[in-house]
Amino acid sequence: MHATEFQLPTRFGTGSLGGCYAPETLMQPLLDLEKALRRALDDPSFHSELKTELRNFVGRPTPLTPAPRLAEKLGLRNLFLKREDLTHTGAHKINNALAQALLARRMGKAEIIAETGAGQHGVASAAACARLGLKCTVYMGVVDMARQAPNVARMRLFGAEVVPVEAGQGTLKEAVNEALRAWAGRCDKAHYILGSALGPHPFPTMVRTFQTVIGEEARAQVLEQFSGLPDAVIACAGGGSNGLGLLVPFLGDALHRFAVEAGGHGTALGEHAARLEGGRMGVLHGCKTLLLQDQHGHTAETASISAGLDYPALGPELAALVLDGKVEVLRASDDDALSGARLLCESEGILPALESSHALALLPELAKRGFTSVLLGLSGRGDKDLSTYQTKIGL
Amino acid sequence: MNPLLPFIMAGDPSLESLPHLLAEAKALGLEALEVGLPHSDPIADGPVLQAAAHRAIQRGATPLRVLEVLATCVESPDLVLFTYLNPLLQIGADRLVDLLRRTPVKALLVVDLPDGEEEEFETRLRSAGYPMIPLLAPTTDPQRAKGLLDRRPDPGPGHPFAQRFAYVVARLGVTGTGAVTDLAPVRERLNALRSLSDRPLAVGFGLSDAVALNAVRNMGATPVIGSALVQALATGQSLKAFLESRLN
Repeated sequence: MHATEFQLPTRFGTGSLGGCYAPETLMQPLLDLEKALRRALDDPSFHSELKTELRNFVGRPTPLTPAPRLAEKLGLRNLFLKREDLTHTGAHKINNALAQALLARRMGKAEIIAETGAGQHGVASAAACARLGLKCTVYMGVVDMARQAPNVARMRLFGAEVVPVEAGQGTLKEAVNEALRAWAGRCDKAHYILGSALGPHPFPTMVRTFQTVIGEEARAQVLEQFSGLPDAVIACAGGGSNGLGLLVPFLGDALHRFAVEAGGHGTALGEHAARLEGGRMGVLHGCKTLLLQDQHGHTAETASISAGLDYPALGPELAALVLDGKVEVLRASDDDALSGARLLCESEGILPALESSHALALLPELAKRGFTSVLLGLSGRGDKDLSTYQTKIGL
Repeated sequence: MNPLLPFIMAGDPSLESLPHLLAEAKALGLEALEVGLPHSDPIADGPVLQAAAHRAIQRGATPLRVLEVLATCVESPDLVLFTYLNPLLQIGADRLVDLLRRTPVKALLVVDLPDGEEEEFETRLRSAGYPMIPLLAPTTDPQRAKGLLDRRPDPGPGHPFAQRFAYVVARLGVTGTGAVTDLAPVRERLNALRSLSDRPLAVGFGLSDAVALNAVRNMGATPVIGSALVQALATGQSLKAFLESRLN
């Protein structure tokens, strides 16, 4: 594809990450999608429709909750939680799923394909489709279906068909493979709602665009409540939709930005999903980015207690921000994440998703480094993870 | 006209059998053959080729090992290396060219490499004599097709079929699953493409029985047979017997 056929930039950062490495069957659908996105973003009626639905259906703006007891426990002066867990369907994923569903309807597509890892994007897509009267098919790895069973039930209640993906590790990577294949077969009728800031152009840009509402709200809220900016902003990062959504609106500010990856249960390839330390530049699912892979260019296995972070590639825009020094990557192990979850539960009465718990786990580290006021993106609620918490914590 | 372009997955049923399979194909008079370099995430392939790729990887058919074995294949049709970008990127263009020089590979078909995305890599390969085969999908309109054919040009009649053809994807979707039942739209597309270019055309995705293959030949194009052949080889059928049944 000659970059000139797309109108928006397809690459990120000095390393020129991203791009559009798609099979020819999907090239015209991707060109059409970019065109539809540009038109929608230039159309005030799209923005007002989206804003109305985000308010009435999703429950935006989500609160910024001060967490004084946890702050005190950690030795921080101020801690703020951006509460994406309080959105309808319980995670930030709905921001993007709803916006893309609205876009699909404008494109005249009556059918939606989606992939899901933790099930939050699948639930969000299923809910958005039910709301807008679109048919929804969600691809989900069999391992994830087992560990996030409540979300499978929710998707089915919303009328979505959940297709089990048995290949490979049975997690998010295989679900994306299968969703891309399904889209190649039905691209004349269906729109593919990719849930993370990855995939071929224009997906990374589109997903980031629909998720920065998190950081835009949080920035205005913290300025209002705190009459200043925090000195650190932190979010967990699987593909990067939550990380970019919170961090991008703070890129112009003099503060530290952190993204937390899944450290899993070890440091060897296959035991974690920490792409910065363990990854090399490569191409997977349509984009060039930091990728966990073996010496042959085959995608490596990953491991994480959290299905939403269990993915071998860091989204290209977030990877570019990291490589260009604008975002620092930290990692939290499975055990760290469980400790992070307990900390928030006990101090503030909020049950975080395992994904968000990875960011929570790094708060003591930020305090140790001398940060005093921190804004943390609480990407989702932990109800879906109750069985994992029960087993691992022994409740 | 080349009557058949078969596809086999390197390493399935085994890497050791590859030289023999290629020699058999050559003895059948086949001019060209596509060889799949197995990848962990074949996003354009259906269940048969996915499973074949995974079996091959488990048996140790790494990209370098496959290229090593191909270097021993003296008796072979011209090969088109069919794969995905990442394993090739990790080898690097210069080293890849060196490795390919010892093999019967004449061109590459990289499913997830649209032209222009890795300009330097593609130019290096093309200038070393390894062109990328253009893919034309049902979603590729004539104007786009013209651009694709211009940017991945036919090196000309002095060159073998393996370097000249354009690959016409018969239907939406992935390889293997779902036979093409109505070939009329393919005929129309072939006619439209012939007004743009006189290079040879191959048609693949969803062709398996002799009737469909003959129908494509009657349109003046070369049918590709992949999943059905890979399945046959995996279940112990001989390449010769299978292809003979599809050549007549």
